[in-house]
Amino acid sequence: MGDLYRLTASQITSGVRNRDFSAEEYICEILDRIEKVEPKVNAFVTVNKEQALNQARILDRWIRDGGNVGPLAGVAVSIKDNICTKGIRTTCGSNMLREYVPPYDATVVTKLQNSGAIIVGKTNLDEFAMGSTTEFSAYGPTRNPWDISRVPGGSSGGSAASVAAQECAVSLGSDTGGSVRCPASFCSIVGIKPTYGLVSRYGLVSYANSLEQISPMGRTVSDAALVLDLISGPDEKDHTTTATPAIRTTGGDIGTGADADKRGLRVGLIKELTAGADAEVSRIVYGAFDLLSSHDCSCTEVSLNAVDYALASYYTIATAEASSNLARYDNLRYGFDMDPEGYEWNTYFAKARSNFGPEAKRRIIVGSYVLSSGYYGKYYLKAQKVRALLKQELKSLYKDYDVLIAPTMPILPFKIGERVEDPLKMYLADVDTVIANLAGIPAMSVPAGFSAGFGVGVQIMADEFKEQTMLQAAQIVESGAGVNRSPDL
Amino acid sequence: MVTKEQVKHLGWLSRLELSDQELDRYTAQIEEIIRYLDKLDSIPLEDIEPIYITKKFTDLRKDKAELFSSNPLGTKYRKNGFVKGPRMA
Repeated sequence: MGDLYRLTASQITSGVRNRDFSAEEYICEILDRIEKVEPKVNAFVTVNKEQALNQARILDRWIRDGGNVGPLAGVAVSIKDNICTKGIRTTCGSNMLREYVPPYDATVVTKLQNSGAIIVGKTNLDEFAMGSTTEFSAYGPTRNPWDISRVPGGSSGGSAASVAAQECAVSLGSDTGGSVRCPASFCSIVGIKPTYGLVSRYGLVSYANSLEQISPMGRTVSDAALVLDLISGPDEKDHTTTATPAIRTTGGDIGTGADADKRGLRVGLIKELTAGADAEVSRIVYGAFDLLSSHDCSCTEVSLNAVDYALASYYTIATAEASSNLARYDNLRYGFDMDPEGYEWNTYFAKARSNFGPEAKRRIIVGSYVLSSGYYGKYYLKAQKVRALLKQELKSLYKDYDVLIAPTMPILPFKIGERVEDPLKMYLADVDTVIANLAGIPAMSVPAGFSAGFGVGVQIMADEFKEQTMLQAAQIVESGAGVNRSPDL
Repeated sequence: MVTKEQVKHLGWLSRLELSDQELDRYTAQIEEIIRYLDKLDSIPLEDIEPIYITKKFTDLRKDKAELFSSNPLGTKYRKNGFVKGPRMA
């Protein structure tokens, strides 16, 4: 033993189930690993040490007594710190929620726990999931495990880094405009943003609720797909969820059935997005394109005209929703310690809310600006129209193509601090990922190659609720690209 | 053109206390962001209907009360069983 922490989710479950090793041995190794690498990576806001060990011991006893176990038995998972966990502090990376301990679990957390998963900690994020680098956190920046002077991407940077650094097997992040796919690409892991409505958002702290989905991350396509299958499905506590067929998740099963039985996949490469990417990123995306061609897929370059306006539409809608969603933080409910005695109502709120960090403040103000009565038609209404246009254009492309591919990120991970004072430049890096959130379609990032020591993810997008087809394409890229490395830490 | 006064006013409407230094910094940054969003003016959208997500009332969950133990909101400042807030002006 000594390298259990490296195992994939399915290997852990079968090992624990067959009693090749105990859940406690495995969790102890994970906790040792966390202790060793956290000073460098800072992926976690809270490590759930005692509770994780207790759960592992209970599971081991249950197995010894002949009990049945779930499909994630013993697996160490980390949860982004904007997803509510009963009894475990949930900060959203913010000073505003420094002391907030939720009285309930998010639906996804309940589902993972019912599957036997063990929560080892809550991961760092840009405050309220607003950012692309995990630098805007009140708990310090997370560092990219491949080069700790660089950003891991964001906003689910803690989740991605914890998976890449082997501090857990899988993680849950949230993806509002690329917040899972961006760090998945920068940290060379797999991240899946599901169709809007596939996974319950109950217990996810809202940032821009018409765009976001809780999204699984793992080191392999089948690990991430396994988690996706377990967390998806209708939930009466989130009325945007929809009943959908189960997802086939294990190795060979992903590639069987669906469209692939009948013919090879029809793949479209979105040329506007590839043209806008760095040369090295482009090279790797074209490499994935060639790989799919050599696996009987028919591959064509396609055009998506609304791409030019997607980012402006996204930032209008996201900031508008953010300004509304963040209005609830009055610090009387779920706040930090600040006695209201002696304060006037408005002064108290303004003072308490000055504890938001710079990016949250900027987005609240931009959101209030675009929703101002005189500007509603100029910004918000047009943004919703661009969203409709993009959706129409994609619908028509999906008549001819099973999946569309593009870069996940147009650039390689940059240095920590390089863009914090240039918010617009930071936003522009989201150009490839926001499309899927605006249209509500599924999209994922799969490691497709390396450049200058950094993983580069290719993004695969499918039509609504066509996750299975998307996973088929991802598995071809994963096995063909053969990117299976871990960072030295 | 986004002015410092506008940002200050929007800050107040959003109940954010902003220092002078923050106002200077955010005004320049927000000006740049809004100029980028102006891109939405350059695409013809007259014939496009915006997206609205609607749900029937029957699709919504039952409105039934659920009891949480102790102090679910984690409110520390309380008086006579009520949550204590700042005084109204």
